[in-house]
Amino acid sequence: MGYVNRRNRTIAGVFLLPTAAVLFLTTIYPMLYALYLSFRNYDLAKPFIPRIFVGLANFQEVLTSGPFLHSMLITFKLMGVTLFFQFVIGVGLALLVTQRLPGMAAIRTLLLIPMMISPVIVGLVWLFIYFPELGYFNYFIGLIGINPIPWITSTQWALTAIAIADIWQWTPFVMMGTAAALQSLSPEPYEAARIDGNSNIDVFLHVTLPQLKPVLISLLFLRAIDAFKIYDIIFVLTKGGPGDATETIALYIYRQSFTFWRMGVGAAASFVSLIIISVLITLFFKSMQKSAAAR
Amino acid sequence: MNRLSTRQATLVYSVTGIILIIFMIPIYLILASSLKPSADMFSRPPTVFFTPTLQHYVDLFTLRPFHWNIINSLIVTLGSTVFSVTIGALGAFALSRIRHPRINDAAFWILSMRMFPPIAVVVPYYIIFKSVGLLDTPLALIIVYSTANIPLTVWLMKGFFDEVPEALEEAAQVDGYGIVEIFYRITLPLAAPGLAVCAVFCFIFSWNEFLFALMLTGSSAQTATVAVMSFWSSDAVQWGRIMAGSFIILIPGVIFVLTCQKWLVKGLTLGSVK
Amino acid sequence: MASVSLTNVVKAFGAFKVVHGVDLDIADGEFVVLLGPSGCGKTTTLRMVAGLEDVNGGEIRIAGEVINDRAPKDRKIAMVFQNYALYPHMTVRQNMEFALKPQRLSKAEVDAKIAGVAAMLGLDVLLHRKPAQLSGGQRQRVAMGRAMVRTPEVFLFDEPLSNLDAKLRTQVRMEIAKLHKQLGTTVIYVTHDQVEAMTLADKIVIMKDGHIEQIGSPEEVFARPKNLFVATFIGSPSMNLFRMTAERGDTGTVLSSPAFSLLLPVELGAKLKPGQAVTLGVRPSDVRLAQAGDADAIEARVEVVEYLGVEALVDLRIGTQEFIAQIPASERPALDQAVKVVFNPAGLHLFDSESGQAL
Repeated sequence: MGYVNRRNRTIAGVFLLPTAAVLFLTTIYPMLYALYLSFRNYDLAKPFIPRIFVGLANFQEVLTSGPFLHSMLITFKLMGVTLFFQFVIGVGLALLVTQRLPGMAAIRTLLLIPMMISPVIVGLVWLFIYFPELGYFNYFIGLIGINPIPWITSTQWALTAIAIADIWQWTPFVMMGTAAALQSLSPEPYEAARIDGNSNIDVFLHVTLPQLKPVLISLLFLRAIDAFKIYDIIFVLTKGGPGDATETIALYIYRQSFTFWRMGVGAAASFVSLIIISVLITLFFKSMQKSAAAR
Repeated sequence: MNRLSTRQATLVYSVTGIILIIFMIPIYLILASSLKPSADMFSRPPTVFFTPTLQHYVDLFTLRPFHWNIINSLIVTLGSTVFSVTIGALGAFALSRIRHPRINDAAFWILSMRMFPPIAVVVPYYIIFKSVGLLDTPLALIIVYSTANIPLTVWLMKGFFDEVPEALEEAAQVDGYGIVEIFYRITLPLAAPGLAVCAVFCFIFSWNEFLFALMLTGSSAQTATVAVMSFWSSDAVQWGRIMAGSFIILIPGVIFVLTCQKWLVKGLTLGSVK
Repeated sequence: MASVSLTNVVKAFGAFKVVHGVDLDIADGEFVVLLGPSGCGKTTTLRMVAGLEDVNGGEIRIAGEVINDRAPKDRKIAMVFQNYALYPHMTVRQNMEFALKPQRLSKAEVDAKIAGVAAMLGLDVLLHRKPAQLSGGQRQRVAMGRAMVRTPEVFLFDEPLSNLDAKLRTQVRMEIAKLHKQLGTTVIYVTHDQVEAMTLADKIVIMKDGHIEQIGSPEEVFARPKNLFVATFIGSPSMNLFRMTAERGDTGTVLSSPAFSLLLPVELGAKLKPGQAVTLGVRPSDVRLAQAGDADAIEARVEVVEYLGVEALVDLRIGTQEFIAQIPASERPALDQAVKVVFNPAGLHLFDSESGQAL
């Protein structure tokens, strides 16, 4: 065998093996274990019932019973609403903060802070804001004559409350990605459009937006993947309630596993969610490869 | 981009300013409430000019053992950061240097591990750690956080290693160095900024994490985020204390934003925005 | 110092063959230049000698020993890379020390070697600088110095001048020639620049598509190109080509085309059969303006005149046939004028039109 070939094997052995081994033990193994659990009757609340193989019963329960499908609906509803506002506000903000005006760089930096805050802190501060009776939100809307809103205690408003908190935290992400992409655009098409006398809206729709498209698609999938996993903010604000009004897939898995201690059902739901998110991840990678090829 | 007229500039400033204020309100509330005397906490109209007090911070460390929570957080955070960056940098170098048609798939595959919902593996982790006696130990969290931090490091470091010209390594090869020595004498020093970026991302992620910390720790390994959450249920809602703890927790993230903004884009968008 | 020989060396990336069985013998102390257009396999061949690419077939010997599977460090070579590959985080001195370290010399020996090379290349004042603080020419020198301190048996150069501007390139080229004279070490040098090849080489190896087209001294490849590729690749401006047919005339063999016909000297004519399709090659420098009394002058139209100072390049046309004459600038004709030219009989090259091989 040639030297270069031998060297490549050394690289694989010395450098790749530790990563592969650690990832196998810490990621693949637990996932396989989850798969194993999903076929068992693993009920920690009833420790004396043997943890027998139950076939697809857990999956059947997950996929045919109301609560899981309901949690799926909640998850996608929340995803749709938050993504819509994050992109509308985020792209708009990006267009503003990339204007060449003094102080804009500082404003841009300050706007990035929310996404670096621990989601549990985000949950807590919004809990403080939404707090029934005493919260700031109701105080301020009271000043303009709106009646207090039962933000987190009514099934009608709870999801909105969560969406607002999530939009607050992650709009900066869309702004940041879009602003970075905007700043990397070549100035020449803009100069050409100015010479041709195109209107600002025309320039945005026909020059800016098409160039931003690959980046926006990548950002969209990244946000969708994150939105699918949303957990901490909901845990703090409503714990999935009232009732099951804000029970997303993550909260459903949590409740099955740690409230009812039905680990088998939780594992089966986990697996279904893994499959769904795999689709999103694949789409993200596809979009990334596409934009890399276009670059 | 064209220059704006004064009128346009005024419009841009006012719209951006209003949005900025709205976005800053929660952060202001955290800081202000952490310094507000409990008596003023919910006075209406809200007191804007109050005598700041450090009482809530003092309470955190005297009435509650918050310093232990911070120490736990630091052990877990630093442990996972060092472990993940070490292992991840090795793997990234391999992925950057091995010529194989499917090497990009391998990189994507490793990155995808970071994107899986943590809740999906929390159950197996709980059972596995319970059976080996790691529940409620910092080591459990170090291991779990590495599952997110290693893939991120591999992905980001691969990008940094790709930028180190291979000719440098070839020159060292011709000079008589082995691959391991070339890695730590040539390639790694040249990719050192990347290493720092990865370390910061691992740090922030581990420091902010809540879900695993909640499920896999009890009283002895409780991290700061879980502790702050526990003030909510156990202390009859001590908002001052919650906000003081929250403010302490958000400091590293804010420092990161203010100092290394340019790396934020690359890290958070996983390189999909250049 | 050592000889190098390649026997039927093959390199393939997957199913894609980039070097098809190269045979090459390099004597001890010889300066060999691998020359060819990009993608011809010259760099890959060099990298196989260096041990940076595996050999997929055949044998490479250095000083008589087969070194196919040896690590680069065990081949007694040093290499100068195209982008110099200086370690950016080390000073010039550290770069050289790093190259010497695996040889486990004493501190005094290392210092002596670095001092010697630094003096030879004029690097003394640069030793404490980092590569980023050096100019392109200085970096190039450091790269050579780093290779020289190792006192290898064979120097490998991979397009070492391609990143320098034209003036510096000439200067460094001369220095390399001088150094080779001084050190006498075997050199394998890859370039796509024929001027470098002509001025530096003892032996030029012209490659195309992974094959060797011709091996020979600069004079040989210029004066006696083995085929059309070499004929047009070497020499600037390129050799003029005319597609002709051989015919038996009254006074000997005549080449004819719709544009013109030409009586061949006897010894060239003897190589052709009547009716044979041949390509006539004439270097622009072998085309001159006809003087009174020149027999067989060819009339052509002047299309473009490029004045170069001492010389002028004249683009000429006969019907659809275009060609170039390189003549003294003082003789240059006016545009759009009909002129008569003659070909230097000693500068006629004949190639078989089908195979492209020289006749």
